[in-house]
Amino acid sequence: MIEYFFLLLGELIMVFGTLGILRFPDVYTRLHAATKCDTGGAMSILIALAIISEASPLIRLKFLVLAFLIALINPMISHAIARGAYKHGTKPKVVVDMYAWDNP
Amino acid sequence: MVEEDLLVNPFGWGALVLIVTSLILSYRVLFGPTLADRIVGINTVTTKLVVILAIFGFIMEEYFFLDLAIVLLMVNAVGSLILAKYMEGAK
Repeated sequence: MIEYFFLLLGELIMVFGTLGILRFPDVYTRLHAATKCDTGGAMSILIALAIISEASPLIRLKFLVLAFLIALINPMISHAIARGAYKHGTKPKVVVDMYAWDNP
Repeated sequence: MVEEDLLVNPFGWGALVLIVTSLILSYRVLFGPTLADRIVGINTVTTKLVVILAIFGFIMEEYFFLDLAIVLLMVNAVGSLILAKYMEGAK
């Protein structure tokens, strides 16, 4: 029963992340929606698959390895994209830009 | 299992939802105002594709799809890092 709860949670997180990427006004806010919702939703669905699967334990461990790799790789890519976008010249639509104080 | 009971399983419906959201996200990849928007869209679509591959491997009980998913995730990591470094230097 708990695996269907995890599946529903992951699907809801994924759909709201898509809504955020479509509707937010800025690159950095879109990145915020993308990284959190994508990582959380994918990990929830993969944990549900690892619970419900009836294969050998080595294969069920592969789902968990996939979830661990997503949790490791996805925030790193988001950090690199945000840094690259700022160096590229895309300014955020904010009132106070504290990153510009340290990096003139 | 065969392809007819792909949508009997609740995970099959989950994969269908993921495919539809990926198609909606292709708007951001095609018409994104800046370069960073397109990279964010491609990264998100690839992560959804990894989950879709894992779900298909579970439903059809062909577990080599999991190896494909792991390799696709690593290719996504290296490719997005290269795109981000390219965006740092491009003017």
